[in-house]
Amino acid sequence: MSFDVPDDRGYMESHEWASEDGGTARVGISDFAQDELGDIVFVEFPDEGEEIAHDEQLGVVESIKAVSDLYSPVSGTVTATNDELLDAPELLNDDPYGEGWLVEVDLADESGLDELLSADEYRDQVE
Amino acid sequence: MRYDQATWTREDGDENAGSYEPLLAEKRSTEVTVDESPLPDDLTRESVELPDPSEPELARHYTRLSQMNYGVESGPFPLGSCTMKYNPKFTEDVAALPGAGTHPARSAASTQGTLELRHHLQTYLARIGGMDSVTLQPPAGAAGEFTGILVAKAYHEEHGNSRSEIIVPESAHGTNFASAALAGYDVVSLPSAEDGRVDVDALEAAVSDDTAALMLTNPNTLGLFERDIDEIAEIVHGAGGLLYYDGANLNALLGRVRPGDMGFDVMHYNVHKTFATPHGGGGPGAGPVGVVEEFAPYLPSPQIEERDGEYERVEPEHTIGKVHGFAGNWLVLLKTYAYIARLGDSGLTDTSAKAVLNANYLASQIEYEIPFSPFHHEFVASADRDAADVAKRMLDYGVHPPTTKWPEIVDEALMTEPTEAETKAALDQLARAFNNAADDDDEALETAPERTAAGRIDQADAARNPRLSWQTLDD
Amino acid sequence: MSDTGRGSPFAPHTDAETAAMLDAIGVESQEELFDIPEDVRFDGEFGIAPRSEREIRHEIQLHLDRDDDLTAFLGRGHYDHYVPSMVDHLADRSEFLSSYTQYQPEIAQGFLQALFEYQSMLVELTGLEIANCSMYDGASALGEAATLALRARSVDGTRVLIPELLADGRRAVLENYLAGTDATIERYPMADGNADREALADALDDDCAMVYAENPTVRGTIEEGLSEIGELADEHGALFCLGTDGVALSLLEKPASVGADVVVGDAALGLGASGGLGLGLFATHEDFLRQVPGRLVGVGEDSDENRAYTLTLQTREQHIRRERATSNICTNQAWVALRAAMHAAWLGADGLVGLAEDCVTNARDLADRLDDVDGVEAPAHDRHHFREFTVRTDRPAAEMREELEDEGFAVHAIDDQLLQFCVTETNAGQIEDLAAAVEVVA
Repeated sequence: MSFDVPDDRGYMESHEWASEDGGTARVGISDFAQDELGDIVFVEFPDEGEEIAHDEQLGVVESIKAVSDLYSPVSGTVTATNDELLDAPELLNDDPYGEGWLVEVDLADESGLDELLSADEYRDQVE
Repeated sequence: MRYDQATWTREDGDENAGSYEPLLAEKRSTEVTVDESPLPDDLTRESVELPDPSEPELARHYTRLSQMNYGVESGPFPLGSCTMKYNPKFTEDVAALPGAGTHPARSAASTQGTLELRHHLQTYLARIGGMDSVTLQPPAGAAGEFTGILVAKAYHEEHGNSRSEIIVPESAHGTNFASAALAGYDVVSLPSAEDGRVDVDALEAAVSDDTAALMLTNPNTLGLFERDIDEIAEIVHGAGGLLYYDGANLNALLGRVRPGDMGFDVMHYNVHKTFATPHGGGGPGAGPVGVVEEFAPYLPSPQIEERDGEYERVEPEHTIGKVHGFAGNWLVLLKTYAYIARLGDSGLTDTSAKAVLNANYLASQIEYEIPFSPFHHEFVASADRDAADVAKRMLDYGVHPPTTKWPEIVDEALMTEPTEAETKAALDQLARAFNNAADDDDEALETAPERTAAGRIDQADAARNPRLSWQTLDD
Repeated sequence: MSDTGRGSPFAPHTDAETAAMLDAIGVESQEELFDIPEDVRFDGEFGIAPRSEREIRHEIQLHLDRDDDLTAFLGRGHYDHYVPSMVDHLADRSEFLSSYTQYQPEIAQGFLQALFEYQSMLVELTGLEIANCSMYDGASALGEAATLALRARSVDGTRVLIPELLADGRRAVLENYLAGTDATIERYPMADGNADREALADALDDDCAMVYAENPTVRGTIEEGLSEIGELADEHGALFCLGTDGVALSLLEKPASVGADVVVGDAALGLGASGGLGLGLFATHEDFLRQVPGRLVGVGEDSDENRAYTLTLQTREQHIRRERATSNICTNQAWVALRAAMHAAWLGADGLVGLAEDCVTNARDLADRLDDVDGVEAPAHDRHHFREFTVRTDRPAAEMREELEDEGFAVHAIDDQLLQFCVTETNAGQIEDLAAAVEVVA
């Protein structure tokens, strides 16, 4: 089985992604992660204004039969959250790289972006 | 072979509507205004609305509900690790005897008979487990685990050791992890060796001055006996830790090995598993805890002790206090006593023999791979396709399916425990259910079950939009 | 085929079947199936003689007959209300009694619906949005409430405030539930049986995680300032946990209307005097849904798009979340919850409220009657009471309690000169007899 791994972003070994755009980044989970979890029923992420740090806990995602901690791919301040997920967590299954994004982050100087795996590296990991 | 669970169609006559019994609130409901109570108005609520059906309607309601429910008397129930055996009827009558349930605050002097019974049960359980003292207070197995871990903690504190870790095999019951965490311990998860047993080298590496205890069930969740138990005990005791026995699988060993003889210091008994008290769709159970002599001073208060023919409630010297608001689930314990008395030595020993015989016979009759053996009272087969789908299909063949997808060491696990109470004919029926499901095509599995009161239920939808009371339903 | 020639009456194998099964497995004997090292094997005897049903029933009856035949006026959390026969007969149907936790909901719709109905009744009675389908008892429910408060993201602080007057069992169990945390338990004073709200206000600060109060209190007094306690807790960001019971809920102030965040207690429905076997109530606000301990039944749809019931939000529970579960509870008191729902539905709103009103008037009648007796003052607290009350005695209470046993009555002695009496419909007929006995010993 092959999973979608877009080239335009960086990945964590723990299956989160970040895509940078001019000092801010969107954060989400990978196609592989949503497939492993199965039907996602609940997601918890930080509020707007909270500081998050690379490789530290970002939140929690739950399917019917599993719970997974999310780790932040980047460091910075949360500027927006995808509140649609609160009512429709299935967006994480349906469109993990698009409508299923989790938070937007105003990146800190030490953003952690350099530490992320490239799409090729991550592809090697999940295949 | 075909199975149809009783179903009731909707009043609109839609025959495909599946099971349906209106909610009590949909039948008749009355709102009562609280305005002429003997209390001042500011101390009372304004109104109460509750269902208000007549007794005949209620009798029909609950009878219909019962017909949409599967119990041990409905058919085979080989739910691995749950020991769903037949619950003898007479123990219900014993628990319903007048005077069986005196108020827990009655004085010891006025309840010598009840205390004597409690003391006898403590003694029976101690002998069966090879323990020196037993408390009957914990109201369930998980509460027993918590009690046992608190005993270990109190013991270490009394000896000036602040230890912070409990070691639990990766394949252990979830309650082991949760009970240890509730008591404030860090849980160290121990991976299994390739043969499915405790990895003795990994255990050696895991123990330290911080080890408070190792929690272990034997036979383990694969049904395998931990043959290195002497060495395991030596390692844990050598590090100053306690060895805790999870009694979930005691049915396999009754009369053949006692946890106390294997080096365990503390254990709990699951009475609804080993001693046939009915599980009641989730409880009540009881989780008595046994300890060897050294740990008796830490047991919950009170203990029942006998002095010169009189039974007294005694507070152990270093007691951990209480784990139940009263005296535990006494009427459940009374059923336990009656069951043990009915079996006696010979019956208890025969129980483990037949439990192990049944598991091995059933395993010999099914067309599934069973990666780990020799197993005892239960085995874990690999479904080689989605185990949850296989389970749903087995419902259509008139049996309760095994525990699925656990332990994870077996791919698509079907954890199967038939218990001693099944006949050869029932085991053959079970085997056919296993084998028919194996032969069915993917579509039959994915759309199963079709003969039950409800079709496959969408768990994701239920969890995404929690509706947990009739107040949340629109129609 | 057993070692002693007489096996378990509940292992139904004939010798021929056992032989055929051994043959199919490919072994000679049952003993060969045990993979157990010789050195740990048990070759002794338990010394437990097997008995017949008849013998055991007789034996247990003889034991129970050794208990003194007393009329109990006992309460303090465990209450004896009359349970209609219907409850026994229907709850004892083996499809309910011998079933397991509803992990296969398609064949467990009946029990799931009954538990859903139980949850719904508790939602109505408490006014809170979420009720679980049981805890062991009121004491463990209180312990679970406190750990919920410590986990909740909206709550800071580690102090748990409890009333000075509280059943020993509840306090002791709470202490154990908090033994693994950094929380501290502190008692706030009472004034004439009820919470001393001024003292409570002084004790509260932003380091409080939870304030616990009871209505009725352990001495049966009815609280008069619950809303104020709710507001105080709220001001300091602490949760307000209210202890009560299933009967009191139908009459006394609705917990949600006084600001309760969590409701706990012993059900007092579904089982009469049962040696302490009971049912722990647990209800809370939907804000804390993900933090709720124990099982929850929800509504979903099946493949035919019909309403169906299922255990839900199981990721909170130990079998999935293990050491990070909201609780270690697995087996609970589901069958007692089934019984409590049957009992409440049998009573209906009218019957339940009437039963609760009787709890007020019966206690009042007994207190009035006892107050006429020289040497006792009843009730000791100048409050309204529910079901039970305390009595101040001139003589040592412990001695009077013992002497009352000789007169055929069981009551609580809770302090040097305080007795406590609990009256329900099951013993209200003996109020006069009890009063006469108190006259003898006072």
